[in-house]
Amino acid sequence: MSRIGVFVCHCGLNIAKTVRVSELAEFAATLPDVVVARDYKFMCSTPGQEMIQHDIKKYNLDRVIVTACSPLMHENTFRKVIENAGLNQYLLTIVNIREQVSWVTSDIEEGTAKSKALLNGAVYRARLLAPLTSRVIDVNPDVMVIGAGIAGIQAALELANTGKKVYLVEKNSTIGGHMAQFDKTFPTLDCSACILTPKMDNVLQHKNISMLTYCEVTEVKGYVGNFDITIKQKARYVDHSKCNACLACTEKCPGKGISEWDESLVKRKAIYIPFPQAVPQKPIIDKNSCTYFLKGKCRLCEKVCEQKAIDFEQQDSFINVKVGAVIVATGYDLMDTKPLVQYGYGKYPGVYNALEVERLFNSAGPTAGKVTQRDGKEPQSIAILHCIGSRDKNYHEHCSRVCCMYSLKFAHLFKEKTSADVYQFYIDMRAAGKGYEEFYNRLLEENVKFIRGKGARVTQSTEEPGRLIVEAEDTITSKFMKLPVDMVVLSPAIVPRADYKDIARLFNLSTDKQGFFMERHPKIAPLSTMSEGIFIAGVCQGPKDIPDTVAQALGAAAEALTIVVKDKMELEATTAMVNPASCCGCQNCVRVCPYGAPAFNYEKRVSEINEALCKGCGLCASVCPSSAIIARHFTNEQVLAEMEGLMEF
Amino acid sequence: MTEFKKIEENLKTEATRLLKEGLVTVVLAYGKGFDENHPMPYAAKTIADVENIVFNEYCNYNMARYLVRYPQGTKIAIAVKAADSRAVIQLIQEEKVKRENLVILGIPVQGMKNPKTGEIIDSKTTCGMYNPVLYDLLLGEEVHGAKSASPYDVLAEYEKMDKEARWEFWKKEFDKCIRCYACRKACPMCYCDPCFIDQSKPKWADKAPQSPGNMMYHLTRFHHLAGRCIDCGECSRACPVDIPLYLFHKKVAKECEEMFNQAAGMSIEDKPVLVDFRVEDSDKILE
Amino acid sequence: MSFEPKILGIACNWCTYTGADLAGTTRLKYPQNLRVVRVMCSSRINPSFIFRAFQLGADGVLVGGCHPGDCHYNTGNLYARRRLATTKKILEFAGFEPGRLRVEWISASEGNKFAEVVAEFTAQIRNLGPQAKLKIQE
Repeated sequence: MSRIGVFVCHCGLNIAKTVRVSELAEFAATLPDVVVARDYKFMCSTPGQEMIQHDIKKYNLDRVIVTACSPLMHENTFRKVIENAGLNQYLLTIVNIREQVSWVTSDIEEGTAKSKALLNGAVYRARLLAPLTSRVIDVNPDVMVIGAGIAGIQAALELANTGKKVYLVEKNSTIGGHMAQFDKTFPTLDCSACILTPKMDNVLQHKNISMLTYCEVTEVKGYVGNFDITIKQKARYVDHSKCNACLACTEKCPGKGISEWDESLVKRKAIYIPFPQAVPQKPIIDKNSCTYFLKGKCRLCEKVCEQKAIDFEQQDSFINVKVGAVIVATGYDLMDTKPLVQYGYGKYPGVYNALEVERLFNSAGPTAGKVTQRDGKEPQSIAILHCIGSRDKNYHEHCSRVCCMYSLKFAHLFKEKTSADVYQFYIDMRAAGKGYEEFYNRLLEENVKFIRGKGARVTQSTEEPGRLIVEAEDTITSKFMKLPVDMVVLSPAIVPRADYKDIARLFNLSTDKQGFFMERHPKIAPLSTMSEGIFIAGVCQGPKDIPDTVAQALGAAAEALTIVVKDKMELEATTAMVNPASCCGCQNCVRVCPYGAPAFNYEKRVSEINEALCKGCGLCASVCPSSAIIARHFTNEQVLAEMEGLMEF
Repeated sequence: MTEFKKIEENLKTEATRLLKEGLVTVVLAYGKGFDENHPMPYAAKTIADVENIVFNEYCNYNMARYLVRYPQGTKIAIAVKAADSRAVIQLIQEEKVKRENLVILGIPVQGMKNPKTGEIIDSKTTCGMYNPVLYDLLLGEEVHGAKSASPYDVLAEYEKMDKEARWEFWKKEFDKCIRCYACRKACPMCYCDPCFIDQSKPKWADKAPQSPGNMMYHLTRFHHLAGRCIDCGECSRACPVDIPLYLFHKKVAKECEEMFNQAAGMSIEDKPVLVDFRVEDSDKILE
Repeated sequence: MSFEPKILGIACNWCTYTGADLAGTTRLKYPQNLRVVRVMCSSRINPSFIFRAFQLGADGVLVGGCHPGDCHYNTGNLYARRRLATTKKILEFAGFEPGRLRVEWISASEGNKFAEVVAEFTAQIRNLGPQAKLKIQE
């Protein structure tokens, strides 16, 4: 016999509107082993919590059922509540009558009936619950940050400043990310490099940061507090411990590669640093454009290198790092707009994408900051097309959030650097940020022409060779227009990195429809993920501007810190165990476990489970033909009883 | 001398040799029963025991059933017909026995008979193969030319039945079950101790021989044997109330082969299909 | 009275249960015949759970897991796919309506898919009528 208390929450009207909560409480009182049942306006409020604790003592309760919102919301809250009243936290059962009842029906009869069934199932299950003890594990105090754009840099610096050791992993040969490609930042128009490069230098100098550039994560093992991560250091063919960054090699190199950094607008050497302020300021050799690697002869760089740092024999190597928490800040790519043939990107030289234009403005860019087109001429008229591939059901439904603002920034810079006429083709102007509306108003005064209508097509002018025609409907005048211009700038959708699936798989992250990493909760847990100890920051979670990215990075750093600041932490106790008396020795559990938690004891002829490795999925329990495996908190008996309870009503 | 007599002689010779040379401590074969039609499973442990070994057309028992009864490491010689050898392979896959501890005495044979009915046992009630899949020594001439029908041909008639008729058919059959568990006892793959159905925590089903408990027992057992049943048909021959369990097992085996491209007990390198997966498995199998 | 099916849902914590929550958060309406049991992974589902659910009177059973490749436990749903497919084949050969068992991959972001699947499955079970074959008669 157990003594169960049932606490039905109204959640204001969230639940009470479509579930008769007092009737539910009365019903609960009639169920087996229920000794007290109450309903209350907000169970999660302090008086609500105190009511539960009071009743636990008064009625000597040994099980508590809270009938309220999703367990993903308040399970932890109420676990603490009952624990503080002296009950083991695993003796709590949550019945989800908000997300899965009251919010998905408008019929109070249906809502009440379904709630009764769910509650009955919970009572059946609660009677069979057992107290569980959490495992306490040692926590590795170090943190890894994946991606060294502004988000990763900020998070790494923040953590390093608290005294924590940080491994900052970057797949490119320099840190900085997209922000380092920009010339100015909206809406203040301060110079991107001026605010970013000091941070990059701080990373380089920081004694607590281990900067792992030109590296990729290849394997992640372990669990929160104890991740064991393998990193591939891609071969640079330059020994950075010897290189003194004289860059003589880059001057002599005859190789020609395409500059990724300059968005393929220019060539670079085969041995190169991506841009003058790169960190580390040490070159790598691109095998695909190096004359020696391609033709077997050259090695000019080797000849000029006084430090003997060139090493053509260098191989990829692997580094093993152990950390307690991870921040994923892998950023974004621009959508490839070539498949959107109507805009002529890749076909007409006068069509540019946003990142290419960022490089054109940049004084360290391919044109040294002069706005000249691929044909070397300064454009006399420029159209900036918003929402290319975003806010578009055919491609990406999401708003890329920053395009309106950077398009305004482009317009301003075009005005500043050229005498061109500048046109904005937009669906609507989204300026919801500090100083953004003001920036928009400022641009309205700068003789930029705003056309409310999405650019529909870009074609080549038949009359004036080399000129482009932008077709659009001006939705204010409802007139179809054809505008001849010299240059078209596309603002493509911001999409996740091309390799987002690999990162998701490695770190066990969920992704949303677009492939952005999913947060544990969109509002109240925006930086944590379903994988304990893995946090996300920046655009890999969804499009956002620099201030929001930095804020997220700081938040993620704080989240990671809450884990690594402690020496020890408690883990979920809901692991599996083997009842040796029932084990038939089939070893199915050993075969299926993704974590290698069960092992077969050949002497005793039974399986045994290493609880430190077990993540509690319960797979082993379901493949165990003799029901010898007990998936704690989800035992066969508990699941069967819950089903029985659910099917009774 | 008939083929069966020759096999019996060879069995005796090899058993004597293996025991004499100390290569094995036990030979699992067949011994005399109360009459010619009812030979018994037999374990010869001494050279003197070998005299009792027989082999005739009624030696149906799948001796692989007894392998799991010996402590790990016991050196065992086992006489296997085609399906029996597949059971041995399956047990090796499941690490219940080790290949190196076994001397597999293969018996190629056709024309085995059901002692209850006197009927020839063929692909209708077993896998229909004649030659063992895995063996160390072959105790008779490999059977050539005798092409057996597909073991799944017999299913056609039941697959054609409309689902209500099939339900009626199986309900009637399972309602006959007296829960003697002879099927489980005869099955080389049913080595769980305890069996799920005997447990009280959780109690999966009623123990009384009534419809719901019978249904739970048989359906779950079919699942436990899915992709593992090697179609020896012993369960059905053991059944005192003649439930055609072999039919159901065949159907599940056929489906598993189609879904997962692997038949049970054909290679010691395989993994049982239900504790395995391929990333390229199709969602179509769920339709 | 019209037939109101009882549908048992078994949803994995990480994807489908969270997707069901999202359906709620976004106030999507769907039929209330479903009662969900939360498990940590679809691979936790023992075939006997399914048989038992029908014996307990479920008119339909809806299993929800993460999309293959997205399992929180990497490969759990890949095992579940094989094991549940086999369960379905067994039910079918026994003469039971295989359409009463449905397996769907519903991610945490697919609140609308959850609502759609529930609506569709409920309608399908309504069409099939009450499940009497495995249900234990009192």
